Amino acid sequence: MSEASPSSSHTPPPGDLADLFENAPCGYLVIDPDGRITLANATVARWLEQTPGDLVGKPLRDLLTIPGRIVYETNLAPLLHLRGGCEEVALDMVTASGQKSPVLINALGRRGADNGLISVKIAVFRAADRREYERDLQGRAAIAVRSLALEKADSELREQFIAVLGHDLRNPLAGILGGARLLRRDAQNEKAVRVLDLMEKSADRMAALIDDVMDFARGRLGSGIELQRDAALLEPVLRHVVAELEADRPGRTIVCSFDLPGPVFCDSGRISQLASNLLGNALTYGDPRQPVRLAASATSDEFRLWVANAGEPIPDLAMERLFQPFFRGKVRPSQQGLGLGLHIASEIAKAHGGTLQVSSDRAETRFTLVMPL
Amino acid sequence: MIFAHGFGCDQTMWRHVAPAFESRFRTVLFDHVGAGDSDLSAYVPDKYKSLDGYADDLIELVRALGLTGAVFVGHSVSAMIGVLAVVKAPGLFSELVLVGPSPRYIDDGDYIGGFSAEQIEELLDFLAENPMGWSQAMGPAIMGNPARPELAEELTASFCRSDPMIARAFARATFTADNRDDLPRVATRTLILQCREDIIAPEAVGRYVHDQIPGSDFVLLSATGHCPHLSAPSEVIAAIDAFV
Repeated sequence: MSEASPSSSHTPPPGDLADLFENAPCGYLVIDPDGRITLANATVARWLEQTPGDLVGKPLRDLLTIPGRIVYETNLAPLLHLRGGCEEVALDMVTASGQKSPVLINALGRRGADNGLISVKIAVFRAADRREYERDLQGRAAIAVRSLALEKADSELREQFIAVLGHDLRNPLAGILGGARLLRRDAQNEKAVRVLDLMEKSADRMAALIDDVMDFARGRLGSGIELQRDAALLEPVLRHVVAELEADRPGRTIVCSFDLPGPVFCDSGRISQLASNLLGNALTYGDPRQPVRLAASATSDEFRLWVANAGEPIPDLAMERLFQPFFRGKVRPSQQGLGLGLHIASEIAKAHGGTLQVSSDRAETRFTLVMPL
Repeated sequence: MIFAHGFGCDQTMWRHVAPAFESRFRTVLFDHVGAGDSDLSAYVPDKYKSLDGYADDLIELVRALGLTGAVFVGHSVSAMIGVLAVVKAPGLFSELVLVGPSPRYIDDGDYIGGFSAEQIEELLDFLAENPMGWSQAMGPAIMGNPARPELAEELTASFCRSDPMIARAFARATFTADNRDDLPRVATRTLILQCREDIIAPEAVGRYVHDQIPGSDFVLLSATGHCPHLSAPSEVIAAIDAFV
């Protein structure tokens, strides 16, 4: 519609325009380049408990709190001169009775022919709740940042603790084992040989416990179990684990079934640790009259390993806590471990991007690792 | 002639003044670390917690550029940074022009700086709210928002950008400083330019600086407010011109 159109509905009656200015749902101010108010609407005057006439002639900064005045002089005034406007600047205005009124302002400058600033129009929005909300958010953000820093310091301390733990516990143990081996070289009487056997066995067991504690600490307190993956031929590795366990438990057999056509991309040390933990578990808790079974197979996209034993099924209650650290089933006191074996096995599965699952009934108890390749 | 901006803005502040001296001087403009287009990665909180860090930067800058016999023009807090620089390195400049200087903003006994310690703490709390708004902030969240590339572009074209955290630290360094003892140790020819109705650096403070710096000149401008180089550039140019 052209401007000349006599029936233009775009020209509101003058009374409406005056009302739109005076009683707008926001405050209007016009200031000169020196920051003195030259025009104010009724809305902002009402908010400040004054009349528009009271406001005209006053420097805008006089309506602000002291911090607001400093920000006005150092930040806002230069910005109005240089950029001719601003948006969403937060200030606190002060009413005639001394009440603080949080506001947000937008400003737009008017420039003359020489590009000099003639005046600045300012729209004032009351924003008490919003500003309060922002303050609250910022307070919380500050608390979060602080606790994150504390948490970071804690986690660094934990990493250090883990490293020191491993080093300081292993070194004296190596001393004991070394000493036992040294004594064994010399001719010893029967009693001494028996004691040396016991000492070495205990030291080996201690070393295994330390390894478990270290793995637990890395998984739970530190950066997780680290893997060194490469293309590994798993069958000889797993057969070695089986041979070790069978040697350790005379009279027990482990029936193996392997279908591993090629190398598997994994951390072979960790996979043999997982197999060893599962087999050790099966030998401890399974029916001693029946063999434990181990199977490992690989296809182009999946590696699967399971360990099964016969015997009493795992109670439902225990199933839920099976993979939690320090969980132990009912065992003879001599076989007490830390209860970390299954937890570490499941952490190794997780580190490989796989899962460790259990099924248990009257027929058998079976732990299955499934890992994508 | 080297121009240093004050708290709250950047070297753009000098855009109406510096060009007037280009025909007679080599003009050098810079942003303090943390302001304008400075390299934010160079910001070291510990170094910049006091004005000394800024003075060291200024000395380094002058030496790196091989400037000798330069005129230093510093506004607001940079006036004091210039004072610190010539106390640390006498002879660094041949002349100092201090625009709206204040050696201490907080009142202390008979000394009237213009603000109470509580008011300055209120200011620091208020700055934590980032009053100039996020459109003015140059925090990485805004600069590196790939979904809104126009933001980075818009900010590049904007003036007086600041990182809210750095701005607050700079405010603390500025408004809690006390450099009154450094003033008598200035052996460089000095001009003080004082505005009227300046609440940041009131006239009495300007006169105090004048009294304390031996042999300094004092000019009371008719400009009002704290930024005469923006509101009355020709008056500032004339005053500097008459001095150098």
